[in-house]
Amino acid sequence: MTDITATMARCEPHMPGEPGIWIFIMGDMLVFALFFSVFAFYRGEQPALFSASQATLNTGLGLTNTLLLLTSSWFVVEAVKAVRRGSGKLSCRLFFLAFLCGLAFSGIKLVEYNEKIAAGITLTSNDFFMFYYIFTGLHFVHVIIGLVMLVFVMLTLARPATGEQKVRFVEVGASYWHMVDVLWIVLFPLIYLVK
Amino acid sequence: MGVLVTIGWWLLARFVPPPLPSWGGQEIAGMFAANATGIRVGMIFMIAGMGFFMPFIALISAQIHRMEGSPPVLAYTQLLAGAMSVAIVLFPVMFWATAAFRPDRDPQLILMLNDMAWLISAMPFAPAVVQNIAMGAAILGDKSPARIMPRWVAYMNFWMAVLFLPAGLMVFFKTGPFAWNGLLSFWLPLVAFGIWFNVMIYALLRAIQQQPDG
Repeated sequence: MTDITATMARCEPHMPGEPGIWIFIMGDMLVFALFFSVFAFYRGEQPALFSASQATLNTGLGLTNTLLLLTSSWFVVEAVKAVRRGSGKLSCRLFFLAFLCGLAFSGIKLVEYNEKIAAGITLTSNDFFMFYYIFTGLHFVHVIIGLVMLVFVMLTLARPATGEQKVRFVEVGASYWHMVDVLWIVLFPLIYLVK
Repeated sequence: MGVLVTIGWWLLARFVPPPLPSWGGQEIAGMFAANATGIRVGMIFMIAGMGFFMPFIALISAQIHRMEGSPPVLAYTQLLAGAMSVAIVLFPVMFWATAAFRPDRDPQLILMLNDMAWLISAMPFAPAVVQNIAMGAAILGDKSPARIMPRWVAYMNFWMAVLFLPAGLMVFFKTGPFAWNGLLSFWLPLVAFGIWFNVMIYALLRAIQQQPDG
């Protein structure tokens, strides 16, 4: 009996980070779901325009960005595991690798925008490109905020003090980064791929 | 404040939903001529409502000050940003009042007053965003043993900040979801503000009740 009780005690649910960050994540995902619905609605009204505009997108860059974010999320997963084990230094290095992926994502994003703007395609060119710029742009703002959060996480890990609060903060940052990744995973097929 | 603004803006002036940005001088001038009295009274209600918003902002700053101690940088930031938000809303109210004051003016002038009013009403996202970030930062930085506000209120503030951003794009569009009457530039910030306001009232009341006397 005591064995079962002990096991059950160990199995108590653990909420990564703190409740507040999940309010933010759920809320933000709700808003993006609204954005995606609006996109789908407008796409239904003008399928030919949207398909034609979509064909001019650089899917290669988009795919590269997707792979970068997925890789960065993997680094973050390993980093959180490391911090839970107590390996602060390894965790910091893994977060740094995730940060580099995020930085590369940002660079490629800028190249992609530049390519379009140079071709004369801007946010008022047509409805498809309005959504393209605004949604990927808003996502980009989230990525930049995420990069800042990763820096704070790395700074926290660099400090010698350990403790549960530190792990929680790391989890908050990691959860936010995963959200940024999830948003892109929906955004990318919706805007670049779905015909 | 909520009651006054709702009556003034929504019922009397009939500005919810907003007039179309794609309308020209004739339509807009027509709108002001047809509903001149409603708009005039509605604007007076809104001015009164704004008066009530000021102590609310001050109260938030006082609570932030409790959370952060000295120097009260975040409290001042919130106070300033909140004050700007109040001032910013007064400009559109006065432009609409001016348009309704002499509705037989040149329609192009009335169109311009209307444009200015609607653009100012939601496009300046910076004060609202800064206000919310200051609020969130203060709550997360609260090191007192008895938390003055629950931490989730901070995250809710950060979320709200994001929701005010799309309205900044309304200057590009006369139609669509990002125009000043659009889903994402009008309705989203409006709903966001409503949620924020009510959650803050709850959090403030709770903070005041738990405040030690003296």
